[in-house]
Amino acid sequence: MSAWFEDLKEQFILNFIEGDRWKWLLDGLKMTLHIAFFAVILGIVIGVAVAVIRSSWDQNNHKMHGLSRAVMAVLNFISKVYLTVIRGTPVVVQLMIMYYVIFASSTNARMVATLAFGINSGAYVAEIFRSGIMSIDKGQFEAGRSLGFNYIQTMWYIIVPQALKNVLPALCNEFIALLKETSVAGYVTITDLTRAGDLIRGRTFSAFMPLIAVALIYLALVMALTWLVGKLERRLRTSDH
Amino acid sequence: MTTNNANNNVLIQVKDLTMDFGDVHVLKGISTEIKKGEVVVIVGASGSGKSTFLRTLNLLEEPTSGQILFEGVDITDKNVNINLHRQKMGTVFQQFNLFPHMTILKNMTIGPMKLLKKSQEEAEAEAMELLGRVGLADRANAYPSQLSGGQKQRVAIVRALAMHPDVMLFDEPTSALDPEMVGEVLEVMQNLAKEGMTMVVVTHEMGFAREVADRVMFIHDGIIAEENDPQSFFTNPQHPRLKEFLSKVL
Repeated sequence: MSAWFEDLKEQFILNFIEGDRWKWLLDGLKMTLHIAFFAVILGIVIGVAVAVIRSSWDQNNHKMHGLSRAVMAVLNFISKVYLTVIRGTPVVVQLMIMYYVIFASSTNARMVATLAFGINSGAYVAEIFRSGIMSIDKGQFEAGRSLGFNYIQTMWYIIVPQALKNVLPALCNEFIALLKETSVAGYVTITDLTRAGDLIRGRTFSAFMPLIAVALIYLALVMALTWLVGKLERRLRTSDH
Repeated sequence: MTTNNANNNVLIQVKDLTMDFGDVHVLKGISTEIKKGEVVVIVGASGSGKSTFLRTLNLLEEPTSGQILFEGVDITDKNVNINLHRQKMGTVFQQFNLFPHMTILKNMTIGPMKLLKKSQEEAEAEAMELLGRVGLADRANAYPSQLSGGQKQRVAIVRALAMHPDVMLFDEPTSALDPEMVGEVLEVMQNLAKEGMTMVVVTHEMGFAREVADRVMFIHDGIIAEENDPQSFFTNPQHPRLKEFLSKVL
């Protein structure tokens, strides 16, 4: 028993203390958080825009006329192509296409990765949001319009806040998935948390410690995220008693 | 914008209004005038087109053909900014449609603040005054889910009034209420009528029609089958369908 414990301690020192290898994990963690954070924001912006376009087309295209109808038809078509392509291909392939093809001349891998993950997440957020918008009673929309709000104002002040509340659990799911998906960033030369753990493994020829450490850090991140969203959910629920 | 009505007392003029839902002709040519300060009650069987007619008045439903002149402006014209005219037409719905994520006060101030550009202080003072009038000042900071149906509808009415509308449209305002709450809502509407508000009311409350209306309109099969002052309407109906209808509801 004590021999086993001694061995564990030795392994720990070898993998994390020697050569300050814990700093690799810390830097990797920072990279993962940076990419995930900005990708989430980008994903929300794209997702809300696509969801509003898609649901307003589905619900109102019979009422649209002339130029606005033509513009909306084009936007809706682009949105549908975007959803099909992004959801139909693996994120790691999208990431590599972004880095090695579209932005082949860029050396800023972190920015390209953030863009790739954000664009990817946007497609899923869009469908989550669309379901949220569709779930709001159409009377809410009519009440907003009859007060004199235009379409966008009604969406912004009345529909989206309610939709957001309804889809928060599903959104949280997507954020968790995104955070973990960033673990493929190593494919495009980025040293994120996963890659950092793997680098340690390559240096120390010991797999257990670095990989378990990486797993635990992801777990802690996801638990913290879940807790945060749960708190937000409870705050938004003050209006239904 | 055209001002082509000579009579300044006419607030809403409806000309040959038709409305199709696909192959179904819901409205088959409605023409009428609603004068300032008039209370018009619309009755009819379900499916007659009465709610659709009311909802076309502020273009929540888009008519297939015909014109609606509101304050002299043809609001069915595609070049008219309907949002500006809707501010002047308060709407009260059967299902209240309060905004559940906002307090009562916020429900009442969001329109005046965002659309009429009133300051928060001014909008809130006015909202509190209106809430006081319907006996709900103490519920200003509650959420809609904490109110009874009758309270919700009273809030919905004053929310519309906070925009200072020139006409109030009521779409079966008491149909979703428990019977004991119908009275409190009708009372608010009755007071509103006394104050001279122009009102168009779709309802099944024949007592309200008889006491408050200046004119009662019977819509049947997408047209105005009969209209008259309440006295004649209820005691001396002409149209066979109206006779049948009244024999069922009175």
